[in-house]
Amino acid sequence: MTDSTDWQDLIQKHLDGQTSEEEAAALSDQIVSNEALRADYIKAARLHGALGDETLELEEEPIPFPQVETKKSSRIQPLAWPRQLAAAIIAGIFVGLTGLGVVWAVNSPRIEARFIPVADHSFESMSGAVPIGFPTEFGKWSGDPAEVIVDADGNHQLRFLKTANVTGKPGGGAAACNVFQLIDLSSLQQQWDTENSEDQFTLELSANFRREAAPTDAELPKSRLTVTIQLYQAEPDSIGKAWPNITREAVAISNKALRLAPGESSTLSASCLLDSEANLALISVNANSGSGAATPADLGGYYVDDVELTAIKQPALPVRFVK
Amino acid sequence: MSETDTSNDHERFTRLLLDSEPVMLRSILVSVPHRADAREILQETAVALWRQFETYDAERPFLNWAMGFARIETRRFLAKEARRAQLSEKAIEALEQEMHSCSDFDSALETHLATCLGKLNEKPRRLVQGYYHEGHTPEILSQRENRSVEAIYKTIQRARRDLQACIERQLNSKLA
Repeated sequence: MTDSTDWQDLIQKHLDGQTSEEEAAALSDQIVSNEALRADYIKAARLHGALGDETLELEEEPIPFPQVETKKSSRIQPLAWPRQLAAAIIAGIFVGLTGLGVVWAVNSPRIEARFIPVADHSFESMSGAVPIGFPTEFGKWSGDPAEVIVDADGNHQLRFLKTANVTGKPGGGAAACNVFQLIDLSSLQQQWDTENSEDQFTLELSANFRREAAPTDAELPKSRLTVTIQLYQAEPDSIGKAWPNITREAVAISNKALRLAPGESSTLSASCLLDSEANLALISVNANSGSGAATPADLGGYYVDDVELTAIKQPALPVRFVK
Repeated sequence: MSETDTSNDHERFTRLLLDSEPVMLRSILVSVPHRADAREILQETAVALWRQFETYDAERPFLNWAMGFARIETRRFLAKEARRAQLSEKAIEALEQEMHSCSDFDSALETHLATCLGKLNEKPRRLVQGYYHEGHTPEILSQRENRSVEAIYKTIQRARRDLQACIERQLNSKLA
């Protein structure tokens, strides 16, 4: 390293893990001998830590990326331990809408993942309009105005058509187009004996979203796409009857949103802890106008495909927080 | 120890850890900036804290007690892991001794970071958001932005320097 070394630049490189052994050694020497640089390093590292701190509210809205198509991630990839734990800490932010679900491990890892059947998860056996209204039984898609289309490659996809109020109650909000399915969890709970097990269980819902340019794009600058998973201890036909107040009785709720520019596609996933009390999951894919409007709005070019639900079983943990 | 005692301890430990975890992580990141590494250290620290929780004196601040464990786990991590170039032990000691002297900056950071982020141009702000808040790698961001990985790193690093300068300006104007 020379006298002309840009130490500020090297600090930044080190924060991103880009320094070589030689550079890290030279930076170390400077940190020991140069008080001003030491202070600069601490400030830069503190800023780096604060930017990654999920507990700080730094942004109100996600900023959309430009019109470059992103690669679809194919399936949920199991994360290497302890990245799985790190992901659990991050995912915990979304547990219970605003709550924290944080986990810590003591034992050696042994993670088991299992796909839970979602009926017509890729919409291949469906076509035309999706039934309107709340689902009352397991394994049926229904909700706000949406349709299943077939693209030029013969691939079926769900297209969100219009925001609406799924209950049909007058005066209700109509900010989103929600398409729901009820999933029976009782078999999984029995097979994994979640009530008596020391293991921890998580459900992860993922879906591939795509946006195409549409005439209504200019009217919907804040539109976003969402996946939501809610767990209940209830009869399947009771959810719709008490919607949306029943959400207060949910055992767990998790959602995740993103914005897409026209031409973009991306996979979105949300996770929540699977409590042994829950006998059903209400999953939904949603396109939200972002306007909070009470009147329905045409949505244009929003599509979703490959909706998947995965159950993850992981080792016993000494501490679990759910706020 | 009865089941009730264990349950109460769990709850108490959980609350204390939840309160301290963000500060601990940010402190670990000073010595070990890579976020996955820092989280690994935090995880090991949490395990060690739980194992020793019986020895915790509730009269003392939990964070101070916990940070002692974090320092030990950081040393242990650096001794056994060689995934990427790390600072020397002497440098880390020097940083730990001086960390408290930046408390004004830390306060200004919490107060002004959102404002300073808002002053960044859209592209660097978008990258900072993608890198930190959405957890994307520079490789993923380079695909999304149609730019080289090196350019992504440079933009993020420049954005951090701009943010640091902005926060220091805010701090100095308050002190002036």
